[in-house]
Amino acid sequence: MTVNLHNPKDSKYDPNESKYAKSASEFRANVSRDLKNDELRSNFRGAMDYLMDKRKAALPNEDELETLREQCKLIKQRCLLKLPSLLEQLEQNLEANGIRVHWAETITQANEIIATLIQEKNGKTVVKGKSMVSEETSLNDYLEDRDIECLESDMGEYIVQLAHEHPSHIIMPAIHQNKKQVADLFADKIEGFEHTTDVDALIGEGRRVLREKFCHADVGITGVNFAVAETGTLCLVENEGNGRMCTTVPDLHIAITGIEKVVEFLDDVPPLLSLLTRSATGQIISTYFNMITSPRKNGEKDGPEEVHLVLLDNGRSQAFADEEMRQTLQCIRCGACMNHCPVYTRIGGHAYGTVYPGPIGKIVSPHMLGLEATNNLPTASSLCGACGEVCPVKIPIPKLLLRLRSESNKPANTDGHKQVMKGEGSGRKKVEASIWFVWQLMHKHAFIYNSSMWFATRLRKLMPAKIGVWTSVRSAPKLAPKTLHERVKVHQAEQHKKLHKKQQS
Amino acid sequence: MSIHESTLTAAKSQTSRSNILAKLKKEVSGADYTKLPEEVGYQYPVLSKAEQKNQFISLLEANHAEVISLEPQQIPTVIAAVLKKRGINTLLGGKDSPIEKHLTALANSKDDSISVQYYDFNLADSENKERLFNDTPASISSAHSAIAATGSIVLWPTEQEPRSLSLVPPVHIAVVEEKTMHQDFASLIQAQQWHNKMPTNIVLVSGPSKTADIQQTLAYGAHGPKELIVLLVP
Repeated sequence: MTVNLHNPKDSKYDPNESKYAKSASEFRANVSRDLKNDELRSNFRGAMDYLMDKRKAALPNEDELETLREQCKLIKQRCLLKLPSLLEQLEQNLEANGIRVHWAETITQANEIIATLIQEKNGKTVVKGKSMVSEETSLNDYLEDRDIECLESDMGEYIVQLAHEHPSHIIMPAIHQNKKQVADLFADKIEGFEHTTDVDALIGEGRRVLREKFCHADVGITGVNFAVAETGTLCLVENEGNGRMCTTVPDLHIAITGIEKVVEFLDDVPPLLSLLTRSATGQIISTYFNMITSPRKNGEKDGPEEVHLVLLDNGRSQAFADEEMRQTLQCIRCGACMNHCPVYTRIGGHAYGTVYPGPIGKIVSPHMLGLEATNNLPTASSLCGACGEVCPVKIPIPKLLLRLRSESNKPANTDGHKQVMKGEGSGRKKVEASIWFVWQLMHKHAFIYNSSMWFATRLRKLMPAKIGVWTSVRSAPKLAPKTLHERVKVHQAEQHKKLHKKQQS
Repeated sequence: MSIHESTLTAAKSQTSRSNILAKLKKEVSGADYTKLPEEVGYQYPVLSKAEQKNQFISLLEANHAEVISLEPQQIPTVIAAVLKKRGINTLLGGKDSPIEKHLTALANSKDDSISVQYYDFNLADSENKERLFNDTPASISSAHSAIAATGSIVLWPTEQEPRSLSLVPPVHIAVVEEKTMHQDFASLIQAQQWHNKMPTNIVLVSGPSKTADIQQTLAYGAHGPKELIVLLVP
């Protein structure tokens, strides 16, 4: 049985208790809303142009880039092929180092584990480093419901939390806001803040508020970029230092991550890190790369007494079960696919209604939320291929979008084949299916094809001028007076005649 | 929180563990790990020590760090000058750390404008947290190694130089020895055989704390040090 914590009435959208199932199912309405927002569109356009330029400048050597992409793809594919044993090895090594490991199949279970760990320590205040997996689980809502204050400390996440929004980009969460909007927000929410659009002053204000929190928080919660099985090490990539604060100052550190983040060797880390930061923000390395291998040891003067890792499935094992869709799990969450996506740039990150927006969001969210809620997402692509071309681990995103479209349009499961994914066939429409059925008939039988085309061209005046959504932004197609076959026949007859005449003369 | 609830959560975690692993194992049970494709890395040109040093300095400077090349005996006077320029008169360092002799020299110098303090307290104590967050304008630590290709210093915190020493104070001075420089991250891990001996924490630092989260505008001093000063000694 599934329980929706936010609105029990919406349980029909509810394969894994996520509030995002509902917002994702409203994709089309979200898109209409956000396309009309000129300020939002200009914020995204500016940000995406900036990020594309930065990536290009950081990867000037085509040969290096392609070698690294191939290498990183193979590293991730190897680690996925060995995933179950690597997870066991990771657990064993982490536990040996003193880091406790917990497993969660669903988001609610992950939240329960974290709440229990905090309550066992009588924790009241949490500072959070950036973690998209904790967005998946809506951890903040869950903890606040249990009177545990949960404050985002990444500057972008902090802004988004103040505004009661969720991230619109996986790397730059507040990219949908410009500095004027942030200034207005701070003036509204932070007591004593003097309105300014000076970015240094805005960041200074965030720093002041958050350092106070770091100093007093009971718990630090973060995500993980790479979990190294060989040594039992958790790696965090960041620029601000909030991740280091969350993992160093409070007594309890809880890390949460998806099961696909494990890598086999320490030697796997440098190439992945190098492509991650360059693909994401065009940095050759982030300001901090933080490797955590144990809690505070005897004699050490700081660091958390306890460190825990929560490993979350949430649909990942479903993607894993299909060899083609398993490639979705190669993702290292750099965000390059969204930065280069013409659809994302125009509709922005919130329109998707999912935790992960953009091309990667379109292929990963169906596994987390079910296709019932997400079957519109894979259709929102021109299949231009940019996402696949920039992906540092070569995920064939366009191909996976096509695959999901076909999973979504599958006929009902009558022959008892193995279900590939939750919600398969949910996007199938009777009208569309019958149109394709007729199309198939026509193209199988020449007589039906020729006669129906003959009638269609003769009755072309009866063609409706409005064909649903298609003509909302286009004029209706007009059939020619004669079919191509007919015209070719006439043309061939004329040619034949000409040739005949020539030969006679 | 009752003990009952904790045990229940732990039991659920165990069930999830078996379920997840069983699902994954079913899919790859017959996989042949002996036939994996070769993972070819990119061969970077080998740089001379001098080239590595130049690369290290220019990348760190591009990331807004200040790099000062100097002789070891100059360290105390340079630190004093760096701090004075910023109007700072106290410096936190590590007792018995590899750079303690420079701190002692600074403390014993005729110029007594800088007071040297040692990280001899436990951060678990809230008073010590307040002190570190609010009354410590600058800190100094040694660096374990350095990476040329990315302009990074490698911090390997110890009992003497704890993790928060290089993180919380707004100005961080790091002393890097040229001989600890490696061409890139991969070769550093290999050379020092990190696989065998990972400490509690390692941090690669490549500049002062920064963010571009507001309208892609770069701002320094997000949460960690606003300034990073690297003293590079031969």
